[in-house]
Amino acid sequence: MGGQACVLYGAAEFSRDTDIVVVADADNLRRLQAAVNELQAESIAVPPFERRFLEAGHAVHFRCRLPEADGFRLDVMSKVRGLPDFDTLWSRRSTLETADETIDVLSLPDLVTAKKTQQDKDWPMITRLVEAHYAQHAQASEDVMVDFWLRELRSPPILIEVAGSAPQVCQRLKPVRPLLEHAAAGSEALLATALRAEEDVEREADRHYWAPLKRELEQLRRDRPRLTPKPPPA
Amino acid sequence: MIDIRSLVGDEWAEWYAMTPAQRLEESSKLWQTYLELGGSLDPEPDPQSPFYDPEEWRALAADGRAGVRLVRRGGI
Repeated sequence: MGGQACVLYGAAEFSRDTDIVVVADADNLRRLQAAVNELQAESIAVPPFERRFLEAGHAVHFRCRLPEADGFRLDVMSKVRGLPDFDTLWSRRSTLETADETIDVLSLPDLVTAKKTQQDKDWPMITRLVEAHYAQHAQASEDVMVDFWLRELRSPPILIEVAGSAPQVCQRLKPVRPLLEHAAAGSEALLATALRAEEDVEREADRHYWAPLKRELEQLRRDRPRLTPKPPPA
Repeated sequence: MIDIRSLVGDEWAEWYAMTPAQRLEESSKLWQTYLELGGSLDPEPDPQSPFYDPEEWRALAADGRAGVRLVRRGGI
């Protein structure tokens, strides 16, 4: 659901970890523990690998020690702000095939939602993801794609073009995305300002979502056992 | 219809036009180069991340491996 998914869809992120979303039930966590053991992975930060933390919305962080994956980081979550439960995500997933493997990733709309965070790095990624989708499908677009573009595009010139080519859909979506007013009017400057305001609202919502979780993480850090330096030899 | 190439430039337009498998392959090559240069798998410190822990990052940085960070900037 992270950087690798972005690359597959057409953005570019040099991600150094793999983010996965899992069902946090007892059976599945046993299977995940077995996979973690196989990767010789160790939990490297708070919170510990426990169901209650995943259910609360935390991520659990591992580092692999298996020689073939030595040093590789794995981040596991079971809840993502703005996204539905795992079963719904799974039913909407994309499956991509390469010569060697089959990869299941979040659907593009779900990935875009997951990227609406407080972090600077995620917003250009959203722009690229939706732009790439438009570039790949503009010649033979379907209604569902036009709907997605009008909801999620962050490139003013393209948004103006799509709004102009689908005025009825644009009109229908204005209540859920008021900045489409500027797209329909062809005002690139007003649209850019409104996009920034829209981003600010999402960033604030993400900060608000994470505030109690961050407090919990800080408490866990304070409570974790400390490594104390060995006393110098007498 | 808008010309994507004129909007995003040749490099991005070519990237968008690749298949997912092609992008994965190109990304893997970049990874290989990065690791051969001694790049670390530790994430860059990101104080905006809800998971950011300065203490954890300092501990991880102690392995002495490169994160391929800018050490000299030419021009500007």
